[in-house]
Amino acid sequence: MSTTSFVAQPTPTVPVATADRSGYAPPPAKATPARRPWKPWQRVLFRVAFPFFILMSLPSDLGWYKNLASIDWLHGHYRDVYDLARFSPSFFLKGGGEGGAPALLGYGNWFIALGLALLIGLVWTLLARKREEYEVLYYWLRVIVRFRAGIGIIGFGFTKVFPTQMPYPSIGLLNSDFGDMTAQKIFWLQIGIVPWYQVFTGVVELLAGVLLFFRRTTFLGAALLLGALGDIVFVNFAYDGGVHVYSSYFVLLAAFLLVQDVPNLYNLLIRERYTVPYHYYPRFKETWLRFTRLGLKVATIGIFLVYLTYLEYLNFTFDPYKQPAQKGVAELRGLYNVAEFRLNGRVLPYSPLDSVRWQQATFEKWTSFTYKVNRAHQLDLSNGGGSPMRDINRTFETTGLAGGQRVFYYDADPQTHTLYLQSKVLTGKAGRRGQARAKLEDNAQVRYRASLASWIPADAQARIGDETHAIHPAAWSTRRERGIKTEQKPEQRDRMTLTYRTTDGGRHVVLRGLIEQKDSLYVVLSRVDRTYTLSESALSAGQYETVEQPR
Amino acid sequence: MPATLSPAVTVSAPLHAATPATEAPWSGFTKGLFRFVFLYFVLQIVPLDWHYYYDLAVNWSGFSFGDIFRLAHYSPRFFDGPDTFANWAVVAALAAVGAAAWSWVGKSRPDYATLYYWLRVLVRYRLAAGLLGYGFLKLFPMQAPLPSLSLLNTHYGELSDWKIFSLSLGIVPSYQSFLGLVEILSAVLLLGRRTASIGAFLSISFLGNVFLSNLAYEGGEYVYSFYLLALALVVLWYDARRVNDLLTLERPAVPNRFRLALPAGWQRAARRTLKGGFVLLFVGLYGVKTYAAYQRGPYHYPQTPGLPNAAGLYNVREFRLAGQLRPYSATDPERWQDVVLEQWNTLSVRSARPVVLYHSTTESIHSQDPARSYEFAGSGGRHYYAYQLSPDGQTLTLRNRNPLEGTDTLTLRLTRPTARTLTLTGTDAQGRDLQVVLEKRDKKYLLEEATKTGRRGGLKL
Repeated sequence: MSTTSFVAQPTPTVPVATADRSGYAPPPAKATPARRPWKPWQRVLFRVAFPFFILMSLPSDLGWYKNLASIDWLHGHYRDVYDLARFSPSFFLKGGGEGGAPALLGYGNWFIALGLALLIGLVWTLLARKREEYEVLYYWLRVIVRFRAGIGIIGFGFTKVFPTQMPYPSIGLLNSDFGDMTAQKIFWLQIGIVPWYQVFTGVVELLAGVLLFFRRTTFLGAALLLGALGDIVFVNFAYDGGVHVYSSYFVLLAAFLLVQDVPNLYNLLIRERYTVPYHYYPRFKETWLRFTRLGLKVATIGIFLVYLTYLEYLNFTFDPYKQPAQKGVAELRGLYNVAEFRLNGRVLPYSPLDSVRWQQATFEKWTSFTYKVNRAHQLDLSNGGGSPMRDINRTFETTGLAGGQRVFYYDADPQTHTLYLQSKVLTGKAGRRGQARAKLEDNAQVRYRASLASWIPADAQARIGDETHAIHPAAWSTRRERGIKTEQKPEQRDRMTLTYRTTDGGRHVVLRGLIEQKDSLYVVLSRVDRTYTLSESALSAGQYETVEQPR
Repeated sequence: MPATLSPAVTVSAPLHAATPATEAPWSGFTKGLFRFVFLYFVLQIVPLDWHYYYDLAVNWSGFSFGDIFRLAHYSPRFFDGPDTFANWAVVAALAAVGAAAWSWVGKSRPDYATLYYWLRVLVRYRLAAGLLGYGFLKLFPMQAPLPSLSLLNTHYGELSDWKIFSLSLGIVPSYQSFLGLVEILSAVLLLGRRTASIGAFLSISFLGNVFLSNLAYEGGEYVYSFYLLALALVVLWYDARRVNDLLTLERPAVPNRFRLALPAGWQRAARRTLKGGFVLLFVGLYGVKTYAAYQRGPYHYPQTPGLPNAAGLYNVREFRLAGQLRPYSATDPERWQDVVLEQWNTLSVRSARPVVLYHSTTESIHSQDPARSYEFAGSGGRHYYAYQLSPDGQTLTLRNRNPLEGTDTLTLRLTRPTARTLTLTGTDAQGRDLQVVLEKRDKKYLLEEATKTGRRGGLKL
């Protein structure tokens, strides 16, 4: 389906061509070059390719439109726009990768699209045999694919430009053994440890996307996209990253966009022939058409570059989506050895083999507490992604990690110095996130409140407050409000209630209370001041330092 | 519907491309610039440094892959120590002086099209050699080896950025091979005149990433990778304008019209021989040699085999120093916390005693065990000892591998009361009595377990 042409090599002495600035028109037919008929196979191929790429590029998922309709543009969240940008064809199968056992490696939907396209192509060929070329349709198809790919990759890239997609490792992860992580974890951390490199990879994706918005830079953008995403596809297969389908999707779109110019390049570089590019471009005569075009383009750039930049900035600064947003108790933060450990009054000496006694503990700068113990437990091997609003569901610090590191989310009652801790990994038999949603949200809310009441006393609950407003007001969004509500449902988690006290000016922390199995615990943690070989992050997401802890 | 976007744009600029730049006489400025660029890159590429030949002659161990790798890894060095851009400045200064002299003596030529051609040949082949040197090390995944047992039992935060970068690549040999393939493909494309620009474009994408990774992960090859990147840019420059004409400006593009005239038969034969020789050496021979090395095992780790049936992670069940029993401790600097025995003759000890960090951030291929520093370079948390078993199989002599940790030597009597237990008795580096009982642990590594079962099943570990 080439709409391009190369002309025979002219003799060098004759001035061969004059072209105006948009000069795809070879002389002498400067004004309206005759449309050339396509070869039959090109026409047939196009009749299949057209519906195929339309099906691939336009959202076929009802949820996408629901999201679009529900966006509160005045109180936006990066995920509102990200979800607009991040769709892939879904017909009857749920998208591959993370969710369950995918059909055909997750590419099932592609084949459905192809099947439909073949069908349409067949009918079309039967109906329209006289048509000689499809330059107009081809042009518009390229427009759709260009914008689809551009928007999509920008959505992807922005989470790296503001480095939140791969967070810098938590203290707990820094103190876990390399071999206790999944390959997927190791890869993501590798990007996470150098935020500036992550920014670079994001800029490459963003640049590719922006170049696709303009037809003259399409080839460069598509080549960049093909190279970058081709690598990411391989990375996802090699490290079992779980987004191989979505990254291949961009490779496919980019390859399609390259098709138009590859013959020209071949002619110019390999055959070393004089090459005249000829591309069909429509001309809008009517004013309203010109304004519509301009308006759509400005809207796209406005939403996916300007508005999204603002939202991603807010997300990076106040609410980095993979790591918890609320501040942890400032005086507790750090890495600790377990100096003393009493369970039900009995002292257990330190041992790396003990299945009950803790070996080390950490308090992150956010609301996470980790202890390490030599006991097998249920692991969360997802990639810690998704769009959780509640801090307890932001699990990047524990996903893909073994070695007996147990990570807890805590609510701290500042008055009684009590921590209400809940395991980040669900202990129920379906130990995964994204279980079937409670059908009746209100009902779930009632049950959630009831479960809280039996656990956290009402006065403590009042002091802890509502999570929705626990972040900077600038980052508050309608989506957060809704999301936190939906995610509040009773779940099976290990729980601990511990009071804390610091001694020796923070050198030691004493924790006492009840742990998971209702045993009484008394531990003395002693602070470890350690320097890491790994360089510290110079660019960190979230704000955990500025505000003093409320008293 | 008319097919032009906007005929309103009447500015009908004459098409510059119709008169190819290669055929017009060059301006004085262009010629001056070319003289500099030519000398600059010739100085960067052609080894004029006697050290280069001396090193090759002295250390040549007979066409081993390490020799060929060093052959392909040249860049001029005027200063000792790590490579810096100061070396480039010297080359630039020399080239500037040379270009000035050249301008003085020779002004008559209309252009340097032929010299430009030869410069491009030189750059193409130099770049291809550089890419092939690394390409085969990745194709047969050796450049980043699988993590050793000791490294699996090292805290993530104990590893340097560069080490993490290398290990992260090491765990996925298939991906490493893929990267190697891309490098080799770029190199092969560079060998053809017509495909050179495509190869250069590919190289730029690849090397750009390598360069930034080196900067970001504190690697030691950022100067060298930028050097290769500069070469790739030179190659692409030749076609950049016509490709830009074609793709971005969407106007007619003029192809390369320069043809090298090699009238004499011997010239053509020499050209073919040189090209054939290059391919034979850097693709054929180097490919075979690296494959053979891959069959022998990773060159980053020592080759001497370790104690038979002993590799694994060990719990230090008992630890007596100077007759005193030391209980398990996370803080005692002298007590061993755990011990790893590798397949080769390395024993590593995790302890609270800080490690003096040894860094190695450039790719070097050592044929002798003591020089192979990969396992402890950029890695804290563990002390690495090479051990030797006495001929009677009863005594182990442990010597610290890390040159920065000093001469830390232990002589220990070895017994193996059960298949899973080792006892070591003797004296430590300070001459105190040391008694250690090691017990093998059944350590399961998530890195391996998750690969076996897949991540989706869920695991308890």
